[in-house]
Amino acid sequence: MKWAAGVAITGLMALLALGVIGVFPRPELPDPEPVALSWGARNAVAAIVLGVRLWDTLFEILVYAMTIAGVKLGLRFLRWEKRVPPVAETPLLRRSADILLGPIVVFTVYVAASGHLGPGGGFPAGALLGTGLLLLALAKGVERVSAEIHEEALDWVEYGAIVVILGLAAVLLLLGRRGAPYFIATNLLIALEVAIGAWVAIHRFALSRGEV
Amino acid sequence: MAAALSGVLAYLAFGLLGLIGRPRLFSLLALAAGVATFSLWAPGFPEVLVGGLPWGIAVAGDPWTLGMWALGLTLHGAVLLHGRARKEEFHPLITLLIGTCLAGALSRDLFNLFVLMDLSSLLATILVVWERRERAVWAAFRYLVLTEVGLILYLMGLGLVYARTGTLSITALAQLGLGFSEPILAVGAGLLVAGTAVKTGVFLLGLWLPPAHDQAPTEVSAVLSGLVVKVGVVALARLSEAFPLGPILVILGALTGFGGIAYALWEKDIKIFLAHHTASQLGYMLLGLGLGMELGALLYAVAHGFFKGLLFLAAGSGVVQTGKREIKELAGRLSWPVAVGLGVGTWAIAGLPPLAGFAAKGFLSQGAPFWAKAVFSGLGIGTAASFSKLIPLLRPIGTGPVGGLAVLVAGVMGLGLGAFFFVPELREPRAVAEAALVAGVGYALHWPLRRWPLRFPELGLDRSLVSLLFGTLGIVILALFLR
Amino acid sequence: MEGLAGLALGIALVGLGFWTLVVRRNLIWKLLGLDVAAGGSILFLVALGYRPGGRPAIVGLGPGPAVDPLPQALVLTAIVIHFATLALALVYVVLLTHRRHTQDVRRLEAEERWPQP
Repeated sequence: MKWAAGVAITGLMALLALGVIGVFPRPELPDPEPVALSWGARNAVAAIVLGVRLWDTLFEILVYAMTIAGVKLGLRFLRWEKRVPPVAETPLLRRSADILLGPIVVFTVYVAASGHLGPGGGFPAGALLGTGLLLLALAKGVERVSAEIHEEALDWVEYGAIVVILGLAAVLLLLGRRGAPYFIATNLLIALEVAIGAWVAIHRFALSRGEV
Repeated sequence: MAAALSGVLAYLAFGLLGLIGRPRLFSLLALAAGVATFSLWAPGFPEVLVGGLPWGIAVAGDPWTLGMWALGLTLHGAVLLHGRARKEEFHPLITLLIGTCLAGALSRDLFNLFVLMDLSSLLATILVVWERRERAVWAAFRYLVLTEVGLILYLMGLGLVYARTGTLSITALAQLGLGFSEPILAVGAGLLVAGTAVKTGVFLLGLWLPPAHDQAPTEVSAVLSGLVVKVGVVALARLSEAFPLGPILVILGALTGFGGIAYALWEKDIKIFLAHHTASQLGYMLLGLGLGMELGALLYAVAHGFFKGLLFLAAGSGVVQTGKREIKELAGRLSWPVAVGLGVGTWAIAGLPPLAGFAAKGFLSQGAPFWAKAVFSGLGIGTAASFSKLIPLLRPIGTGPVGGLAVLVAGVMGLGLGAFFFVPELREPRAVAEAALVAGVGYALHWPLRRWPLRFPELGLDRSLVSLLFGTLGIVILALFLR
Repeated sequence: MEGLAGLALGIALVGLGFWTLVVRRNLIWKLLGLDVAAGGSILFLVALGYRPGGRPAIVGLGPGPAVDPLPQALVLTAIVIHFATLALALVYVVLLTHRRHTQDVRRLEAEERWPQP
């Protein structure tokens, strides 16, 4: 098996190298700046992700949401015989979480809301907030944090946010509206959805830890 | 264009609302919205760039879209009727899966197809483990790993093709007409085809297919085999517009056809048997595409969606009702609706007139050269021989729930009879005699074949991965030689 | 030259990842290999957008031609997709470990003929 795998992978890499030789120089590219400005953005990547190729991004958001749903469904009812004790909380972690959480939230909103002007956007912003929630969970324990969050409400907010994004997409794609306000709204909603998803995944994986 | 896009958006939105609450109501609303928008755009619409130049996503309503939407909406109706007892997120997830497949049928953009193929396989794995049985979890793990490898290959091929041509739209690629003129394009297109073949479940590349289709819950098997696999077929059809893939698809088609039949011939478990036959029937579609008979391949894809969906629904209901999976043990235990469903499905898949299978096979073999006709006959004989095993099951006792079986029986009969009466070539005595001869030879062969069973190697995860890599290597080298 | 280096590194990572995926017997190792291969394919795609003397594709950021923004946009989607596959696969590893008490692919497949329920 090892020999066969080695031959196949080496052959594949050789063929890819053969293909790559012809890549550069690339053919003449369309200038991204007028396209970005016509959509009301300064960041061309944001203009593509949220404007020109919004139809892809919708399904990308769905991929993320469905993964979280899959994690939730798969790990439901999972109970181990031997539970792993929770991580002992340390004062250092708790203090730093107290200090850092506020700036993390502010920075998240900034990254999401300015995503069409420079580097940033909804997905990195949501990942930032998710990391902040992970820090909080490490500092105070997953159980204590989750006791303060209503699971039912999370479902509403998460799926509701995507439905609103779908509505915005209909306005953008079918009615042909453009402009910065749409980008800001979509980015904030995506950040919200990604952060909630990250929290749900962290929560589920943490709850179903155990030993064999 | 607007109608089709808003249909997909409505499907997704209702699926998500169903995840919050009221699952069956929102699924019904999604189906209604889908049917309404389908009737609005129905004859088709020309290609549009959603998002505009220069990087917009091309969508079009061509015959493939039409066929897939009709198939998807019918299957959704059947599943809604059949899975009335299913609770919670089941129906919303099915709704989202079908919405994804409807969007996949619209798309004419390489990257959009990539995203949709991945979303459909993610949703499919979640649904495969729905009942949380261990074997289903293992099947879903294999499904995820193999499709992920395929999608990595697809992504690299997409990058190479984009780097050379500067476009992702199928139409623009076809207009450039570069074919395999440079190594970069041959490697790129080869990788694209390999990735799509993995996702489609072509034999030796997509060996995730038999366990996943076998282990899925009844309704999910029907949707997986009827619709999800077809997204890959649509993607291959689009790719064959942009690149001269004829010989590659013919070889892949023959491989998957005969490979699937070889594994199915001596299989005792009814759901694994049907799963191997999904691979074997893919052979017809790929051969049709490779020979340039798009319409025949499309008709076969739709007909296969109807009759394989019917067979999986019936077999799954039989397995659930009796608790047995071996074909021998099921004989004489099935209820009337299940037996009628299995009977109609077997009649159709064997290609006997006047059901959907006959029409589709007739369309395929009409324009085919002589050697291709021989291959089709070989596949037909193999299919008939292996399906002869199901004949003892057609002795029903008692009645049971009908559910969605009626919808799909109507679909199989309607498609078949419609084609039979409106296409005069299908009514010629020669075509009918050929079909009867193929089925008869297959039935006669099944006695000697049953006496001397062959054993084929088990297809574990590592072997599937290595065969995937070798299959990719073969496709790319073939593309380089076709220059 | 930098562009080609990025492409070569991407190809090497894909090869390494596939090697780990096929040869290792532990499911977690297999997923690590898959992740490395996915990272390689993403690097490959980003490196394709390279342009000699290029600058970020943001309006008003210095002179020179902008790099190709499309591969960067595609990569954003591809990253989410790879993340999604990995997360779901990890869930299934947890479930398998819980039920079968092993993560070894050969032992799992030796028991593949598990009794049907």
